[in-house]
Amino acid sequence: MMPSGKMLPLMVAGGIVTVILGFVVVVLLISWFSNPPFGLGNAPAQPVAFPHSVHVADNNIQCEFCHRNVTKGAAATVPAVEQCLFCHQEIDGATTSAQTEIEKVRTAFETDQPINWERVHRLPDHVRFIHEAHIRYFTDETIPVKYGINGEEITQSPDVAQTCTICHGDVGTKTVVQPKAGQSLKMGTCLDCHRNNSVSTDCTICHK
Amino acid sequence: MKLTRRNFLAWAGLGAVGAVACEGFGIRRGELNIQSPVRLPEDLVRGNDNWYASLCRTCPSCEGIVVRVMEGRAKKIQGNPLYPINQGKTHARCEAGLQALYHPDRIPSPMRRSGPRGSGQFLPVSWQPTGMDSLRTALQARGSSSVMITEPLRGHLGLLADRFASAIGGERLGFETLDNNTYRAAIKNVFQQDSLPDFDLENSRFILSFGADFLSTWVSPTRFSRGYGEFRQGADRDRGMFYQIDSRFSMTAANSDKWLPVRPGWEGHVALSLAQVIVSEGLQAPGVDVDALVGDEAGIQSLNRFRPEVVAPSAGLTSEMTGGDPVDFLRNLARSFARTRPSVAIGGGSAGAQSNGLFSLEAIYALNYLVGSVGVKGGVKFNPDSPWDGVPASSKVGNLEDWTRITEQIRSGQTKMLMLHGADPIHGLPESLRLRDAITQSEDLFVVSFSPFLDDTSAMADLILPDRVYLEDWGDDISEPGPGYQIIGMQQPVVNPLPDLDPLSFPDVLLTMAQELGRESQLPWANYKSMLREGSDALFALNRGSIEAASADEFWNQLLRRGGWWDEGSKGPAIVQAPSGLLGNIASKASDPDFGGIGFGSDSYYLVPFAHNSLLDGFNGHLPWLQSAPDPLSTVTWQTWVELNDNTADRLGVKEGDIVRIESSKDSIRAVVYPTPAAPPDVIGVPLGQGRRHGSDYATDRPGTESSNVMDILETTLVKDTGSLAWAGTRVRVSKTGESVSISKLEGNARAVEIGLTPAEEIIKTISPENS
Repeated sequence: MMPSGKMLPLMVAGGIVTVILGFVVVVLLISWFSNPPFGLGNAPAQPVAFPHSVHVADNNIQCEFCHRNVTKGAAATVPAVEQCLFCHQEIDGATTSAQTEIEKVRTAFETDQPINWERVHRLPDHVRFIHEAHIRYFTDETIPVKYGINGEEITQSPDVAQTCTICHGDVGTKTVVQPKAGQSLKMGTCLDCHRNNSVSTDCTICHK
Repeated sequence: MKLTRRNFLAWAGLGAVGAVACEGFGIRRGELNIQSPVRLPEDLVRGNDNWYASLCRTCPSCEGIVVRVMEGRAKKIQGNPLYPINQGKTHARCEAGLQALYHPDRIPSPMRRSGPRGSGQFLPVSWQPTGMDSLRTALQARGSSSVMITEPLRGHLGLLADRFASAIGGERLGFETLDNNTYRAAIKNVFQQDSLPDFDLENSRFILSFGADFLSTWVSPTRFSRGYGEFRQGADRDRGMFYQIDSRFSMTAANSDKWLPVRPGWEGHVALSLAQVIVSEGLQAPGVDVDALVGDEAGIQSLNRFRPEVVAPSAGLTSEMTGGDPVDFLRNLARSFARTRPSVAIGGGSAGAQSNGLFSLEAIYALNYLVGSVGVKGGVKFNPDSPWDGVPASSKVGNLEDWTRITEQIRSGQTKMLMLHGADPIHGLPESLRLRDAITQSEDLFVVSFSPFLDDTSAMADLILPDRVYLEDWGDDISEPGPGYQIIGMQQPVVNPLPDLDPLSFPDVLLTMAQELGRESQLPWANYKSMLREGSDALFALNRGSIEAASADEFWNQLLRRGGWWDEGSKGPAIVQAPSGLLGNIASKASDPDFGGIGFGSDSYYLVPFAHNSLLDGFNGHLPWLQSAPDPLSTVTWQTWVELNDNTADRLGVKEGDIVRIESSKDSIRAVVYPTPAAPPDVIGVPLGQGRRHGSDYATDRPGTESSNVMDILETTLVKDTGSLAWAGTRVRVSKTGESVSISKLEGNARAVEIGLTPAEEIIKTISPENS
């Protein structure tokens, strides 16, 4: 049945509104689910099986040795392949599997190929997060009491590595990196933490 | 909630929707990569670099440099491969020049004293009108009773400063802590030359050096080091032989085949004993007129007083040092030196810094006549006059008599204005001269400093008008010593001062003042650059040398591009006639060194101060790279250390890191003990350079370290006939303080071990007359 002449404009307008709303809903959903909710994020497969535990827990390499920008700017940055070769020019790995992985890194350097890692932690594009500012705050010894991401009280200023664990969990002991278990890194988490620490929650603090 | 079939289906449906949403709306794997670049981003260079030729000003030898400039910022300093003095090589001092440019303690703008004199309290003022008006007013009122103290100046800045001082009726004096006046006087007396000579080490086969640390700090170490490299390892030649006769185990001594630790002040006697052997055994080079050189019978008798049998015990030579009879050693050394031609004798440093320093250096340089090494390949080479008439080619500096006079003038109120540029005489003169007190207590004295950094003397200033540093300013240099032919070096501003700095070029300030005071007739140049351009035009008019240009403009461009001009055809004199009876005369006026002060008690030691490898006399003390550059022998950084023989340290009951008090009759300082088997048991060595009271944090005393100024305890003994400070003519006592600090040096200990007969000794024995 064809709609009557009076219904047609309403139906067209309704269709347009539905399409727009649908688009908005999809965008919101993508935005919401792009960052795994409720701490349900899993560990993506990586091109090189890099064990943080061997480097950090066993060999005491500081976080900022590889993530060179983490105390200096917005992004923590992953190390250049050349930096891996600082050590792995000489260090071959103790196990066959380790040697296989290290060989991948050497091959990447020799063939001039970058390594494309799967991002484990990410924030939406409209969010600005500055690693340096957060590390500076938590390591500031002049602030007597600070609060962690779940409201836990911090009375002794952590060092850089300990600060990293507040959001990322104890990455240094893990062979495979995945989001902190049960920890959502969503806007509510940010706001709670900012409020607990009496830091501004103005929109423009975080949103571009 | 009751689990019904309906509820179960509803939850299952919601779960399915949620799972689909999570997976469906989430970001797909692989869409958000984070990439490890292959190369470190820090190593990636963006933009284009430019290299500008200029001159280094971190030491008096003024080496040619090229500076890498990217986007208006100087990034790197290297040696200018074209410049004949250093031929692309540089000392570490040159490379640290960048830190002067970006130094956090640079004085950003003019300052006026706001507290008591010497308190270091200043308030910033503007150049116009306050700074320049204050200077002009002071010059108008006090110019005729002013003294301008500068670093050693050559070239057009020397001309400008001299003319300015003359125009206002004042006086200018160059200042150098370890001045070369005695060395100059010896060169003048022995070779009749006004400019310092070059040494053709590259083509020499035997170097005999007395006290000159020519590979580290003495005169032109980069040039000498390059020649030394060829001397040792040059292609198509035998490895040269090198003996160092020195009371301290210096970096140069460490490179020698044999180091002979002679008693301080006896170097000249040893030189004459070698001369005596050469003359008595007829070992002189062919064509050398020994009779004319030694003189009449009286001269022969004078020289014979220096037989090795007499000199060896006086000079403290023992069989342990020489690996056998010291007398035989001296004889064999004389024979080797005379027969291994071309050979060259060099003297300087502590050998010329005793009361008898002039005698010692004359005796040392006179050896070159005996072995025919004067003006020839592989020997002493002389430099020609400057191509510019009237422009000072030699950086003559004041001696201790001058500074005593200036201090007295200040104290008496005769000097009413002091202008300082590139000189820190309070730090660089013995404390017993009381220059600091004289300036502090002189109420009618007006002190103006043009230093871009605060130092002990600038801290006394009433007005500080900061100069540009050398990478921001124009300049030139007439190299001294030159390479044996005429040479001019050019300095150009390779960068502008940083935006938060407001320095003005010192020569431009002088020229501005000259105009405002109506002295244009004596200083007719609009600015310093135009003065240098005039010099460039004069070189162009000569129509010779390393630059071929069709016009004066093209010549100026080439001059700046190459970093200088030189003319290998304009050499110094090849033949220099020895004064008649030279050796006899030197021998007849020989004297023993005079050590005033505390005397020769069993608890006293010879004090041998030495220029720090990178800080020199403290001129570079504000540059952290040079503070942290390890001393080549001890590897100590950031501190004043005292080199004590192991046995001496044991006797005093001190170990490495202990702080001792070193006391002369004048004062005492503290220093950190560095025991070394290479220090003679009765000699202690202390570097200059530290112990500033004012200025950059890098230069002044630092918590947890000991950094003292050895100049504070020196006796004011003069070198006879030159009036210079005999800075190695002090004896001191050393006592424990009971305190100890960590000595900042590289880890590990290099201990000397007995290795038997050294190859050098073997060679000496092999080429002694009975075997040759």
